[in-house]
Amino acid sequence: MRKILLGTTAVVSAVVGAAVMAPQASAQEAPTVRIGGFFRAYYGYTQQTGRTSVTSTGLPQNVGGGTENIPGVAPSTTSTNNIARLSKSDISTDAGIDVIVSGKLANGLTYGATISLNSGGLEGRQIVQGRASAGKTTVAVDEMYAYIAHPRFGQVRFGDEDGVMGGLMNSGWVQGFGTGGVHGSWESFVTRQGGGRTMTAPGGIGDASKIIYMSPQFFGFDFGASFAPNANSGRDTGCPNNASSGYCDSAYAFSGARNFGIYAAGPEMAVKRNEIQAALRWRGNLAGVGLAATVGYIGSGSARDISTGGAQTRVFNGLNIWQAGVQASAYGFTVGAAYTYGDYNFFWGNTQRGDRPGEQLVVGGQYTAGPFTVGTNFVTGLFEGGSRTNWVDSTTGPLTQASCRPATPGVSNNCAGMRRWGVSVGGNYRLAPGMDLIAEWVHYSVREQGRDLDPNRPGIQSRSFSDVFLVGTRIAF
Amino acid sequence: MTHVSRPILVLGVGLLALAACSGGRQVRNDEYGTDSARELTLRQTGSNSSTSGIVVFGVDRSREAQGGGGTGANAGGGGMTVNAFLWRATLDTLSFMPLASADPFGGVIITDWYSPPQAEGERFKATAYVIGRQLRSDGVRVQIFRQVNRGGAWTDAPASSATNSEMEDRVLARARELRSQSAGR
Repeated sequence: MRKILLGTTAVVSAVVGAAVMAPQASAQEAPTVRIGGFFRAYYGYTQQTGRTSVTSTGLPQNVGGGTENIPGVAPSTTSTNNIARLSKSDISTDAGIDVIVSGKLANGLTYGATISLNSGGLEGRQIVQGRASAGKTTVAVDEMYAYIAHPRFGQVRFGDEDGVMGGLMNSGWVQGFGTGGVHGSWESFVTRQGGGRTMTAPGGIGDASKIIYMSPQFFGFDFGASFAPNANSGRDTGCPNNASSGYCDSAYAFSGARNFGIYAAGPEMAVKRNEIQAALRWRGNLAGVGLAATVGYIGSGSARDISTGGAQTRVFNGLNIWQAGVQASAYGFTVGAAYTYGDYNFFWGNTQRGDRPGEQLVVGGQYTAGPFTVGTNFVTGLFEGGSRTNWVDSTTGPLTQASCRPATPGVSNNCAGMRRWGVSVGGNYRLAPGMDLIAEWVHYSVREQGRDLDPNRPGIQSRSFSDVFLVGTRIAF
Repeated sequence: MTHVSRPILVLGVGLLALAACSGGRQVRNDEYGTDSARELTLRQTGSNSSTSGIVVFGVDRSREAQGGGGTGANAGGGGMTVNAFLWRATLDTLSFMPLASADPFGGVIITDWYSPPQAEGERFKATAYVIGRQLRSDGVRVQIFRQVNRGGAWTDAPASSATNSEMEDRVLARARELRSQSAGR
């Protein structure tokens, strides 16, 4: 009898032992390849100041015409007169295809890759050979990365993907209604004149090729960190030749760097280098209320500019940004807020030396009942306006700083801080799983006292604003 | 940047060590934020990105879980005549023994003889029957056979009936676990 008991105990303990040592031994899954995608079409009615067809007067922040370091191309020029309004009505479409690979090994390791192709990724800045060489609907890779995850050791993602504070682990951004409210698709209907965009949201900092680590969750906490050596994505160095140009993602100094604090999409030039992100997140329940909070940091260096004299000059601050956000969900309601502060401008770009730090507060709330979701969010921020620093080239030494103050009083100047705010109201009706109907209104305002945000009109227009009302549908599969 | 990156690095290494030691919960991919328009739309419209789209290679486990027109506890698995959760759970539970045969249509799993390291003088063989398409507590039966080594020859010996029911309990617990994992996807 004792032997029987011993034997049966041995059998059962072998089962238990196997379960403890390899709890996922059972769940091995052969890799699957899945194809999905999305499509959306919105009609938008837009009112925007400075919405005229005159040649662009250039972007307002930290950038020139974007042609200064391209051989054989003269700097951009400004033409005046011949003004005609742009249409207020438009239809905006976008589509994407995702290929998702996933699998699981017998030891519990899960792995996979995602390749996301998007037809709306090439707007970018108006830059020579950017928009000129590709149609607006040209399909480009948005994100592509591989991941390996282990229940005990966490997940590593490797490739072109948002960082941990660039969208993966943020809290407090309530954007689950309409198209995302002030951070949604209204931006597809406005011109970039006056900088009336709200790119300083999760996902806006870009998918620069990086390595990301994210931990398991323990006691409600998980944390992550990511590193990107430069601002570019994709293969190759981007260098057209052996010159240290802005096209080279590994160039730590190049002529004209002062123009690329903000991404020049298409060629994907930006001075950001060695970007690190770190995030600590907590999630839990208190009395039936779901809570989430994140504290995180984004830092980077920046490429230097090279003067005609051959001297390297540090013209940009590195990114140095802190963000904290909280959100709560209960009974169909979600409310949240996030505050961001540090050295960055409103396109997540590097600020020039001497520029003020940026700060931004986002609050939002939404309510879901059955197939209906309604929500609102609000953003307000204070950023550097036109850069306080005007860098002057030198044939003998480094670039030098000139004052932003105009010689003549009453003329548009770059010394103003920039106050930005926006508000939205939106709603969705879920027609079917994966498909909804949307209506949304967004108001967005930019103010820079003393700086002309609409040079096509007489006088100094210190304020620009946009109102967009959109309706439409989207489907994902 | 340097003055802040150093403490962040130290904190990160510390947290990593803590995570590795304390056996945390694996964070699923859908618990991370995204700016993928497809993913955002699916999340907002109540769909699951890991079960949407078309599987062009491999087994579509989302359809398998819904299998044969059944859902939830009735999920049978595409082409299977027995409950997929019970079937997998039985395979998992008996996986520590060498498998002799498995018939997913008849629902029969037969293992080969296995001698536990703790009791080398005896060996066991298991036969499991998965019954029906429903996930029920009486949907699986396990029979353990036992032999002992007497003078170099294996002879049949009785096995405790409690072993059979204990193995069945293990199968049911594992099936419940698989079912809850599937519901979370």
